[in-house]
Amino acid sequence: MSEANKTVQEKLTDLSELVGWFQGASFKLEDALTKFKQAEGLAEDIEKDLTKLKNEIKIVKKKFDSET
Amino acid sequence: MDEILLSVSDFVALTNQTLEYAYPVVQVEGEVAEFKVIQNKWVSFKLKDDGALVSCFASLFQMRIPLEDGMKVVVVASPRLNNKGFFTLNIKAVKPVGEGSIKKGFELLKSKLEKEGLFAPERKRALPRVPTRIAVVASTESAGYADFVKIINERWGGLDVEVAHTQVQGVPAPDQMIRAIRYFNSLEVLPEVLVIIRGGGSAEDLSTFNDEPLVRAIAESRIPTLVGVGHEVDHTLADMVSDVRAATPTNAAQILVPDKQEIIRSARSQANSVGYLLTQAIDNYSRQTKDNLSVAFQRIQQKLDDTFEQLGVLRVVVAQLNPENVLQRGYALLRGEQKVGSVIEIETFKNSITAEVQDVRSK
Repeated sequence: MSEANKTVQEKLTDLSELVGWFQGASFKLEDALTKFKQAEGLAEDIEKDLTKLKNEIKIVKKKFDSET
Repeated sequence: MDEILLSVSDFVALTNQTLEYAYPVVQVEGEVAEFKVIQNKWVSFKLKDDGALVSCFASLFQMRIPLEDGMKVVVVASPRLNNKGFFTLNIKAVKPVGEGSIKKGFELLKSKLEKEGLFAPERKRALPRVPTRIAVVASTESAGYADFVKIINERWGGLDVEVAHTQVQGVPAPDQMIRAIRYFNSLEVLPEVLVIIRGGGSAEDLSTFNDEPLVRAIAESRIPTLVGVGHEVDHTLADMVSDVRAATPTNAAQILVPDKQEIIRSARSQANSVGYLLTQAIDNYSRQTKDNLSVAFQRIQQKLDDTFEQLGVLRVVVAQLNPENVLQRGYALLRGEQKVGSVIEIETFKNSITAEVQDVRSK
């Protein structure tokens, strides 16, 4: 899935994983700058997504005052 | 009418027709007496006040809340004269009235459901951290619903919310809510959370949420439930049986979705922490490299020192082996053939001498 199609939740998970990578055993200085840029990009994306996303509220057409 | 001769059956039928025309449905308030369950199917009791008493009859499934003698109730019923000549109220609905009776009904049903394990903590399911598909059962005209919508819009975005508009108080309310719960549970793709909300109200208004079939429908929901009814102090059986109880509709919205401002702050803070970790890592690496270089220099220096020391020792040894030092001590160096008549060169510290060998003796 491309970055643009990911949900906010997925991006949040990616961001947490990146933080984990920096704190974990697989950390490599050679890759760190790229990962840092990814983390910054994700944080910006999350902020943009959360600011622009609107909720869709639909009222169910079905009536519930009788069985039919 | 005086001249009409009726059979008993016709009289009963005519009376019932008249009653049906005049009082198709009546609401009567009174105190329950002689409450009985017959064959686990039927219920009979007397409804009385200080001046009169009337028999009531119902099927067991129509009892939405357990009754006990002494409880004050309102019955919704059709008056009938049965074939044995007894006048009864055929019950359509019963609801307790007055704080004492509402509380009594609540306690009786609570104890019954508790015994069945419906409130057990192990039945509780966790709600998804950030649901995207949400079903709501509420009155869309209520202030509680407006509060709920306002808060979820402030807190989060991208939600797909489906709302079933039902009554949330009065006799039809429990059945409407049950139908709405069943509707959402019958969808091909189930919502992730089922939210049932209602704002504050009197104990009587909120007693809708102590209706046994409604409580059971919430317990049976395949979709995890979040119930926010009334205010913080109000407790209903519906919220006790739900997976998660919210104190109010506003609180339900707060439980349902995280606050996007908090998430944005947290995302920024995580990105900053990554920046800090990167700087720290670079610092560590450069410190490590510096330390390694320093160790390497120290080793080279040590090696050089050792070598110079060895050189010094060798110099002393070499100096001690220098023949000049021997000559200086008074010895002489002789070059040439050691036989009589040969010319030899003799070197002392200060002079070089040429001499002829006159005698050679073995020692």
